[in-house]
Amino acid sequence: MQIYTIEAILLIFLILITCAVIFCKDILSAVVIYSSFSFCAVLLYLMMGAPDVAFTEAVIGTVSTVVFVASLKKIDRWCK
Amino acid sequence: MREPFGGLILSTAFRILVPFTIVYGVYVLCLGEFSPGGGFQAGALLSVGVLLSRMILGDKAKFNISGKTSVVLAGVGTFLYTFTGWLTLFGGGNFLDYNFMPIQMEPAHEMHAMAIFLIEIGVTTCVMMTIINLMDSIIKRGDDDGSVK
Repeated sequence: MQIYTIEAILLIFLILITCAVIFCKDILSAVVIYSSFSFCAVLLYLMMGAPDVAFTEAVIGTVSTVVFVASLKKIDRWCK
Repeated sequence: MREPFGGLILSTAFRILVPFTIVYGVYVLCLGEFSPGGGFQAGALLSVGVLLSRMILGDKAKFNISGKTSVVLAGVGTFLYTFTGWLTLFGGGNFLDYNFMPIQMEPAHEMHAMAIFLIEIGVTTCVMMTIINLMDSIIKRGDDDGSVK
């Protein structure tokens, strides 16, 4: 029963984080919040018994955050 | 790239982070058959190591792989994968049929592990160089005079 509660909390976190990314005005903070989306997804995959997918998600979340930040620096929209 | 990210905290943390990242990537590659992980994850980890050093130090980074080299090495990785398949073809089996590797080892699963390790080295090289090439096209596009290096 407890494991379902934790999964439900993580799923609600995922929805909240997605709404925050959509309605966030500052692009850099949206990128940082999106990396926390990746972290919650990693925890969910681990609970569902797929450590391989969780590992891939962790690595790709890091790489995509680096790509987003580098391209933000490139287009000179660093902060509002 | 025009100016690296720089900063005291970044350049100090980077010296500690990057060697551990690269060693962990090689560990994930070598233990891919027995534990979670494999070629794709190892390639992404290794590319993170190279990319961090390039983004923080700029052009002065020692472990720097340029865009053209990365394209060539991605092709070499794909060739390694295909070459392992051809080896089994020459041994008389199907494509990637590990029972027909030309080098015979006594326990059969030993030979399977060796063939899978060869394939994973190819996948690692291809993924690592492709991610480096993606970042290279993002970072280097348009320098001060608008030209591409």
